[in-house]
Amino acid sequence: MIQQIKEKAKELLDSGAVSCVIGYERASDGLTARPLFVYEAEDIDRLIFDETCTHNLVKYLLNRKDEPTAIVVKPCDARALNVLLGEKQLRRENVFIIGVTCPGVVKTGWNKKGDELEARCQVCTQHTPPIYDFLVGEPIEEPSPPITFSDVTDLEGKSAAERASFWAEQFERCIRCYACRDVCPGCYCTECQVEQLDPEWVSIRFTPEENLMWHVMRAFHLAGRCIGCNECERVCPVNIPLSLLNRKLEQEVSALFDFQAGLADDARAPLATFKKDEKLGIGEWHE
Amino acid sequence: MAIDYQPKVVGFLCNWCSYAGADIAGISRITYPPNIRIIRVPCSARVNALFIVKCFQQGADGVLVAGCHPGDCHYSEGNYHARRRFALLRELLDFLGIEKERFWLEWVSASEGKRFSRLVSAFTDELSRMGPRNT
Repeated sequence: MIQQIKEKAKELLDSGAVSCVIGYERASDGLTARPLFVYEAEDIDRLIFDETCTHNLVKYLLNRKDEPTAIVVKPCDARALNVLLGEKQLRRENVFIIGVTCPGVVKTGWNKKGDELEARCQVCTQHTPPIYDFLVGEPIEEPSPPITFSDVTDLEGKSAAERASFWAEQFERCIRCYACRDVCPGCYCTECQVEQLDPEWVSIRFTPEENLMWHVMRAFHLAGRCIGCNECERVCPVNIPLSLLNRKLEQEVSALFDFQAGLADDARAPLATFKKDEKLGIGEWHE
Repeated sequence: MAIDYQPKVVGFLCNWCSYAGADIAGISRITYPPNIRIIRVPCSARVNALFIVKCFQQGADGVLVAGCHPGDCHYSEGNYHARRRFALLRELLDFLGIEKERFWLEWVSASEGKRFSRLVSAFTDELSRMGPRNT
């Protein structure tokens, strides 16, 4: 599998079709993976692909919009790519997509490699990238487990007061490092609303209320665009369960608008479009 | 809960329909609860989702967004966008512990002074029944 990636990377770099291949290499702990940018053919042998390659590399393409670039993507990463292509953030002709079939990645940390699959991979129903120029790996038979959101449902089952205190507890920890934003392929605004001073949407005070503003902002701007790569939760230094918010919205977007983000490169985000006659359970008050 | 609990309600009313509807209610001397603080906006779609969060963050007990009936938007389709946005936001707020009953999106035309009055009464009644937000 990795041989196929290397051969393709060599071919692309040698022919000058791309000036960089973005992939993975072994991190310095010798156990996990880290992103690798291959500019020279001599670095190609550093490329790896295995169950520790958890990062979504698509974010890096935003720095290379005008440079022809090849990128190694898992199915979930490919969906992020679709979102960016749909939003005209990338030019299709500048991206060469090396799609990898993916049985799931494992939980990793510094110097730590778990045996268990990442939570998102346990319920994954897409093991082949929805978009690629070159496919690596054997096709994996798609199981069709129902998309389960058991932790979302658990929280929904609690009372509003319990939910409020649950989130207050979570958001209290937030140090607003914005790692969740910086890692997210869907967050590409040059000036983020959270850092605007006029109007000042979010104060620099660290209070659960201000943090709530930030987290609603982040989650809602990704509503119908989040592809669930879960990078935000992985990089959170204080372990806020951000995927709960993302998956809640994913669930509602699917229920209300029958939409899943990133399956096609020309889909419009559900909040950028509408149907005249839809019933959404709002605005239906009668005297 | 104190007997004299009065919910604070923020109302975002679209300039072309609902604000005029509230105006008609006033001109026709139809009473409606004074709990609502009205903010005039150009369109229901002008209302950013974060306005709503900000209202709750600053102590509102309920937020009402009112716009032209679907199909009647002054800007043709603003209220359709608002409908999608707030249908989703309502679920997110509920998930975060702000009950969805505290956030309404409704349609009031420029001639519906009576409907506006009844809508605000119904909303305020609901909020009074629910009591203050546990923050």
